[in-house]
Order: sequence, then structure tokens, then C-alpha cells
Amino acid sequence: MGRNMGRYFKDIWETLTTLLTGMSITWLHMLRIKKDNVTLQYPEEKWPRPERNIGHDHSNYNVIRSRLHVDMDDCIGCLKCERACPVDCIKIDTVKVPERGKDIKEVGHVGITSNGTRKALVVTRFDIDMTECCYCNLCVYPCPEECIYMTGGPNAKKHPIDYEFSEHDRSELVYRFAKPGSKDGIERIMAEQEAES
Amino acid sequence: MTVDWIFEWLNGLFTTLSGNPFFLIIAILVPCLALFGFITVYAFVVIYMELKVSSFIQDKVGPMGQGVGLHAGKWGVLQPIADALKLLTKEDIIPESADKPLFIMAPFMIFIGAFIGFIALPFGEYIIITDLNIGIFYILAVGSFSVIALILAGWASNNKWSLYGGMRSAAQIVSYEIPAGLSIVVVIMLSSTLSMQGIVKYQEGGIFNWIIFTNPFAFVAFFIYFISAMAETNRTPFDIPEAESELVGGFHTEYSGMRFAFFFLSEYANMFVVSGVAATGFLGGWQSPIPGYFNTPLWGIFWMLSKTMFLVFMMIWMRWTFPRLRVDQLMNVCWKVLLPISLVNIFGVGIWTLVFG
Repeated sequence: MGRNMGRYFKDIWETLTTLLTGMSITWLHMLRIKKDNVTLQYPEEKWPRPERNIGHDHSNYNVIRSRLHVDMDDCIGCLKCERACPVDCIKIDTVKVPERGKDIKEVGHVGITSNGTRKALVVTRFDIDMTECCYCNLCVYPCPEECIYMTGGPNAKKHPIDYEFSEHDRSELVYRFAKPGSKDGIERIMAEQEAES
Repeated sequence: MTVDWIFEWLNGLFTTLSGNPFFLIIAILVPCLALFGFITVYAFVVIYMELKVSSFIQDKVGPMGQGVGLHAGKWGVLQPIADALKLLTKEDIIPESADKPLFIMAPFMIFIGAFIGFIALPFGEYIIITDLNIGIFYILAVGSFSVIALILAGWASNNKWSLYGGMRSAAQIVSYEIPAGLSIVVVIMLSSTLSMQGIVKYQEGGIFNWIIFTNPFAFVAFFIYFISAMAETNRTPFDIPEAESELVGGFHTEYSGMRFAFFFLSEYANMFVVSGVAATGFLGGWQSPIPGYFNTPLWGIFWMLSKTMFLVFMMIWMRWTFPRLRVDQLMNVCWKVLLPISLVNIFGVGIWTLVFG
């Protein structure tokens, strides 16, 4: 009896002290939240890219997947890249210009490429759907003006790396390279010329 | 008290119609709506508090409203509103095999059980809906009303998890009523009144006149009441009626949308009621801790709310610290520990009053 009573009170005492220990631990964690916080406010903060060893010095080297970029001033709208694409993720629309090799300032059209080719077409739409793109690089080889190429990769200059290619909305993953407003602009110009003639 | 005043004021305003029963209905509806608004606002505050405290304890920061477009505001303060909107717009599912009338009735009954407890809670010398002369007894009585609703919900869902939850809640609440009631007996013995205002008035004159500090037995009684009250509100560590890991959702397994929101809301309202009783019975209610200062009615509301919210915070803190008790452990704690100690308390307070009082 005596021993049982002793154990009874000892149990109560042990319960109380251990409960208080637990509560003090959670209290301290609550107070130190600024220091102890382990979560990341994702879109605003990102984990730093982990260090890695690729066998040679990469202080001036982007160890990252590259993605397609199009230099629209050089694009002649030949559709070779569209045809080469194995997943059909490139969509190009073109409109014939009134006079070959002339700049059209209203839509930002440059008449002569850096290779000296006189352009016959205005590219009104050049969409690359990055959700479909498989990064195969096959569209780069056929380009006669070398205006579609991979960028941000190992051969590019060292830059702060966007390794996710993520957007807030899925539609933003369709990269639109055509000059904004070029479709409406060129249609209006053609209509005006027709009216004049 | 408030009901009487509004009734008299209306009678005085329209003397020709005095004594009209319609006035009585208005006089009852006005405090009810005010109370409902208060509970809703309080629920938003406490849900936010719960989100943040639980996250801080687990080394997270909780809802922060990051991202673009529609988000939960600075520091995620709009998160409870987003949660409420989500619950309101969710599909309302009634299982085919459920007992429909009972199933529909249960959430309302549990909310009524939590709601009517507020009637006797004093927020100031004159700010109380009705100062019943059996106030504390009334609150204890209606506090156990929720067990009917829980069994109803468990039974009407026609689901084994729900039924287990309902049965467990019955066992738990009925058991924990006893230590809670016996601890309140200590308060009643000291103040020799059952009226809530009488109990608060007894504790006049600063922090050392609060019942919790008058004698060691009352000090222990406070903790016994608090633990039992936590068990009555079905919160972790006493949440065996819902016990996510064992019973899916317990008595509210089959509830969704608005009906679930009612269970949720009444849990928080219940927390406020039991904390309010603890604050009134042991911590001096709306009395200020410093005698003679800060005793205006507005300060009274402040003291009452801050004491109650502190106890609510304690409940949240405990919820996120302790693991759930097993059913047999729960019964052990109640019948073998809390009950004998609270009986000893009653004797102790009696002898203390006889010797020192």
C-alpha cells in the first residue's frame, strides 16, 4: 500500500515535470522561429543551386541546361526549324512584304539580315512551346541564318542561373519571339497599300 | 441583464406599445446577433492563432500569403477567411445510408450547445447578457449538451468510425464533467454564490484576491478544471473522439462543407466558453490585477478577453506539444488522478476556510 501510494505520487510528479519539459521545448521553438525557420517562401525565395563538381573549373561556365532563343532581326521565316522539330513545338506565321529587303519601321521589321540576305517575309508569329520542347537542338542545324540557337547553356556567358524555367501561368511557357503587334501592323500596312493602288 | 435593458429601453421609447411581446423578441435577437458576430470574429482570430502557433512550434512560418494574384494578404492574415470561404463553397454531402434528419440536426445542436454558454459569461460589471443566479451551474450544464450532438452525429452518419467517435466522446465528456464540476465546487465554496457576477465580485481587489491565489487547493483546482475543460472541448491531447490516425475523422468523418464548418466553429466557441469560465472562476474575470486601477467597463472587457485568450492560447500550445492519450490512459487520468485530487481539494478548501478564513 505504502509503496503503491509512493508510486502514484511519483507518477503524477513525473507526468507534470515531463509535460512541462515538453512545453518549454515548444515554447523555445516558438520564440526562436526567426532563427529556426526551415521553410522557404518559395516564389520569393529559392534554394541556392547546390555546388557540384563536373571535373574541371566551372567558375566561368554555366552548368545548366540551355533553352532556345530566336534572334528575330535575322529570321527570314523559312520554316526550316518548324519542319525539323520532332515534337512540333515551333509555330511560325509569315506575311509577304510589299518590297523585298526594306525595313518596315512600324512593326520593327529589319529588311536585311546580318548575313546580307534580303528578307521577303515578315514573321508575325514565332511561338516555341517550352512545355513540349525536348531540348534536342535539331532546329538549330537547318537554320540558314543561324538565328535560332540555344542560350544560357555552357557556351553562353556566365550569368545568374534560372534553373527552373518556371512561370506562374502555363501560358507563359509558350515563348513568343515575334515582335509584338507585328501581325496587326503588317495587315494594316498591306490594307493601306491595296487601297492606294 | 442586457436583454432586460433593451426591453425596458424599447418600452420607454414607445410608451403606447409598452409590454409588446414583439419588443421582447427584438431584445433577445439583438444580443444574439451581437454574440454571433463576436463568435465569428473570435473564430477567425483563433484559427489564425492556431495556424501560426502550430507552425512556429514546428519551425515553420505558417501561411504567409506569398505568390502572385489572389493571395492571403501580408503574413497570411486572410487565411482564415479563405478557409471559411472554401468550407462554405464545398459540396454538401449527406451519405445515402445516413439518418437524414438527425444528420442535419447534429451540427446545429453542437453549435447551440457552444452558443448558449456565452449567455452567462460576464465581460464587465454591466456587460453580460443575463446574470443568472445559477450562472456557473448553467454553463456547466449546457457545456455537456455537446455530447448529445456528438453522439447524434456519430450515430446518424451510419459509419463505424463516426459511431466509435461518438461513443468515445460520450465516455470522455461524461467522465471529465466530474473533476471539472468538483473543481468549480471549490470556487463556489469560496465565493458562496453561483452567480457569475457574484464570483467576480468576490475576487475584487487585485491579483492576490483572485481565487487561484487565495489558497493552494484552489491553485490545484484551477489546473484540474483546465485539464478537464480541455478534455470536454475534445482537443488534443484529449481528442480521442476525432483521433485522425485511428478514426479517420471521428464523429465528423461524414460531414463536409458548411456542416463540418459548424463542428469546427463550435469547437472554438467551446474553447472560449470553458476558458471564460476558468478566467471568471479562478482569474478574477473582468477585474484588473492592480487594485483600483483600470477598472472602467472598457478595461473590464480587455481584462476578460485577455485572460480568456491567454487560456485559449495555452490550449493551442498544449495541443501542439502533447501526443494524444490512449482511451484507457484517458480514463485512468480522469478517474484515478483528477477525481481523487479534486475531492481532496474540496476537503482542503473547507478546512482552509475554517482555519484561515
